[in-house]
Amino acid sequence: MSDTSRVVQIFLKRPMIRVALVLSVLSVLVASHLRITLSRLGDASSNLRVITQEAWPPDFSVVTDRASWAYPPCELQTDWMCSPAVVGMTQTLEIAFLATILGMVLSLPLAAASATNLAPPLMAQSIRQLLAALRVLPSLIWALIFVILVGIGPLAGVLAMTMYSVGYLGKLQYEALEGVSREPLEVARTMGLPRWQVARFFAIPEAANSLLSQMLFMFEYNVRHGSVVGLVGAGGIGWYMQYYLEPFKLYDRVLALIIVMYVVVIAIDQVSLRIRRRFIEDEPMRPKWKQVFLPWTDG
Amino acid sequence: MSEQILSVNSAAIGFDDVEPLIEGVELRLREGEIVGLTGRSGIGKTTLIRTCAGLIPPLSGSISFAGAPLGDKARGEVGLIPQRLGLIQHQTVGYNVLMGALPRAKWYQSAFSLPSAEMRESTRNAVEAVGLQDKILTSVNSLSGGQQRRVAIARAMVQSPKLVLADECLGELDAETAKGIINLLRDLANDGTSILIVDHNPVRARTFCDRVLQLRGKRLVELGDEEQDATPALPVLRRPEQ
Repeated sequence: MSDTSRVVQIFLKRPMIRVALVLSVLSVLVASHLRITLSRLGDASSNLRVITQEAWPPDFSVVTDRASWAYPPCELQTDWMCSPAVVGMTQTLEIAFLATILGMVLSLPLAAASATNLAPPLMAQSIRQLLAALRVLPSLIWALIFVILVGIGPLAGVLAMTMYSVGYLGKLQYEALEGVSREPLEVARTMGLPRWQVARFFAIPEAANSLLSQMLFMFEYNVRHGSVVGLVGAGGIGWYMQYYLEPFKLYDRVLALIIVMYVVVIAIDQVSLRIRRRFIEDEPMRPKWKQVFLPWTDG
Repeated sequence: MSEQILSVNSAAIGFDDVEPLIEGVELRLREGEIVGLTGRSGIGKTTLIRTCAGLIPPLSGSISFAGAPLGDKARGEVGLIPQRLGLIQHQTVGYNVLMGALPRAKWYQSAFSLPSAEMRESTRNAVEAVGLQDKILTSVNSLSGGQQRRVAIARAMVQSPKLVLADECLGELDAETAKGIINLLRDLANDGTSILIVDHNPVRARTFCDRVLQLRGKRLVELGDEEQDATPALPVLRRPEQ
């Protein structure tokens, strides 16, 4: 056997190499089925050059100039407070906030009724199916549905994000409730308490830190997705982006809005991460909200 | 004559019909009586306690509570202190003790989290009785093992049940702390509550229990006075002979 064929054999014996080869072949086949060709990537690069030229430098007048066409109308006197960036981002945050609160209020009882350690098996399975059905549609599709039902504006965004939050939070919550220690629940059952009291006074307080952490995570998620649902008319900063994209193609203003959104989302992620860390880490005492929002008052 | 609170009749206990953990269990508890349950680790003490609590059905035989089937017991008549106490983590001492009063709360009091004056008063009294009045707003996570046991007993005191099932609630406590917990249990029994308590230390159980039962093999037997005195608290380690 020649040295080359021996090297190839040794090479092919490695499981990682074999997996990589199979995945490469599959990728080429799938790309060919989707008619993805390198020439089309070449077209993309020329389009990218055009967009970059038109988008750079970003036009930050979206942060300073009044958006007289804002919906709902902005009645503040200061121009920058009624600018597309401030109005749009505020709406996105408001939509995310309302959707998270509504989602939490609706999902918590559903989660308790679908946790197998708290609810009868048939009820738990039925409600899990309902929660799964709510998660099947992404928030963008929910937004399309609610724009048709209630018209363009933030209400459609709030309803769309609420639907998705219920499905998503519900799943996280029933998993957290199923993870609580068995013993407090057995104490409650021995007392003869009904299921709802076992959930309300024993399981939910026991899982409170996880539930609060999940709610903050959902808020983060809703802020990020709040910008997407705006693209189909469900309010928020995405709606203002869409206004500049179609029909004006003002890419420099869109880029400025994207930068504003990026800064806000990163800031919220960081704040939320710090708050969540205080809930999920095994600390001897539950953190107080005062300590969370005013950390300099510690001690 | 005092009322018979718990009665286990010819019961097989465990999870497998073919191979139960304990067979032919005969157990009677009278009002105000403290009965100790001993036996080596893994023999089925906790399973027996959970069966008496109604959490696991007996494989055969029957369990009655105050003359009626165990399933018919009224709310709050049976209290459980599990091995790891079953306290609600990250909640205060006051919250955990107040949970003992929940069985007698009216629906609107529990639905709107509005405990009655009597519930709050009995919680304060129980917390004072176990000596934790200065910790009432402290999270149970920051308490010592002995203090956490006091919280679990205070919860049972607020519940004022007819029967308390305590699984190793003396645990690995030092003698002084264990004595304090035993005194609390005795106070509870003096008020008419029957107590079935698991203690891995038969000599200690003998000092405060009215009777001591032991699980041997698959049988539950009652220890006579001589046997109780002869049973070592801990296995005696012998020095190998030279």
